[in-house]
Amino acid sequence: MTKDEFKDKILTILTEDFEFEQPGLDDNLRDDHGFDSIDAIELLGKIELILGFSFTREEKEKAMGIRTINDILDYVEGIQQSRNSQAGLSS
Amino acid sequence: MKRRVVITACSAITPIGYGKNAIIDSLRQGKSGVGFLRDDGLLSKHIHSRVFGTVDYPIEYDFKRQYRKTMGPVAFYACQVAKDVLESSGLSREFITSGRLGVAFGSTHGSPTVQREIYKTFFSDLESKFSSIGAVDYLRSMVHTTAVNISRMFGITGRIIASSTACTTSSQSIGFGYETIKYGMQDAMICGGADEYDTTTVAVFDNLLACSVKYNQTPHCTPRPFDAGRDGLVVGEGGGAVLLEEYEAAKKRGAEILGEVIGFACNNNGGDLILPNLEGITATLRLALKDAEILPKDVDFVSAHATATKMGDVIEAQAIDAVYGDDPVNRPFVTGLKSYMGHTMGTCGVIETILSLYMMEQGFIAPTLNLENVDERCSMLRHTRELTETDTRIAAIQNFAFGGVNTCLLVKNGRDADL
Repeated sequence: MTKDEFKDKILTILTEDFEFEQPGLDDNLRDDHGFDSIDAIELLGKIELILGFSFTREEKEKAMGIRTINDILDYVEGIQQSRNSQAGLSS
Repeated sequence: MKRRVVITACSAITPIGYGKNAIIDSLRQGKSGVGFLRDDGLLSKHIHSRVFGTVDYPIEYDFKRQYRKTMGPVAFYACQVAKDVLESSGLSREFITSGRLGVAFGSTHGSPTVQREIYKTFFSDLESKFSSIGAVDYLRSMVHTTAVNISRMFGITGRIIASSTACTTSSQSIGFGYETIKYGMQDAMICGGADEYDTTTVAVFDNLLACSVKYNQTPHCTPRPFDAGRDGLVVGEGGGAVLLEEYEAAKKRGAEILGEVIGFACNNNGGDLILPNLEGITATLRLALKDAEILPKDVDFVSAHATATKMGDVIEAQAIDAVYGDDPVNRPFVTGLKSYMGHTMGTCGVIETILSLYMMEQGFIAPTLNLENVDERCSMLRHTRELTETDTRIAAIQNFAFGGVNTCLLVKNGRDADL
């Protein structure tokens, strides 16, 4: 999945499930949309389903520092690269 | 410190309607809110009783997602009636968030609908690498979910009392709220209860042979409190809230006084957790009169718990007779209001209080529905057999619960608050 495809899925989730109105990629999730830590846990569960793998405890804790949608995209991209890298090393 | 406590707002979602006009209309027309048990895809097909006191009309909720996300169906009922009460009260935002307003609200066991989804994950997740238990499932299902969702939605920072004593849940909420204000711990309390559609409760009573089964094809004919043909209770759903305020403050701000809570008693039978207990119930009724400092003859109307179980109604009739039966001229009218909507479980106390307030204001007492042939063991009471236009100064609202918990609230007509 490309970063743009993932971005579209995240925007759809934030709009439909979290009822964001006109989300901007650099909006502050908490201040602009009332997104809190409970929402973050729920969103991580949805992202796991999209990616097809579970996050580790450390990865989830790192996600708690996310502030914007762009942060989410960077976070997921970083995890995917890390997983791919680990897969490459082990193969 | 002993302060007077008045009721200045109320709202109820019931099987016979939502809001004052709809409920009064149903009471006056003798309309039953009991219908057919809905299929839940799990338990309903195993239950012998096919009837339920059902809220089968649409309710337009207007809660933002930030609030909805921690609410199961039971909290929707609770927050809706709490919203109605706060909106109609005219209380300022400053007061609501001041810490002087608290919440006493409960349900039988949180949200069984959400709990059921959680339990499903125990099985469905076995083969999955993802957990489907949601981040907010506990907040939506926990036993105090109604009270804290109300406090969260309206920014209430006062005391939280989350009674959960089955059928005395909301009568305790009102009683404990009354005591909290009376003794100066809070100046106002939102009190009540809610219970959502739940077949678990029906199954439990069904197993105990306590549910009505003979009227499965004619739901409106059951339950039948005090009737010789009664065959058990009918479980129902709904929500109700009252706003209690310290009398002087309410009067000062010009609030409409719907009623005054003048007495409350709560005790336990100290033994069996299921069987009704004459001694315990009788003691509760007397303790309430003592708390209110009134005599039995002062009570004009008794809203009986009257679930229409075989023994429960007889024991309650004996208790009412023991307390109120000495003076044949001044015996109170007795109505089993569950005959209209079934047993709304944790909600029944507040709903029956609200119905009593409506009837006091309107000057009538609704009859017990389906009371065609009074069980001779209950015949010593002054049953309300037909719609009766009469003045009620003081009403007693009686409720009893599994666990041997008994409550009695005494409520004075709001018209008489200044007398």
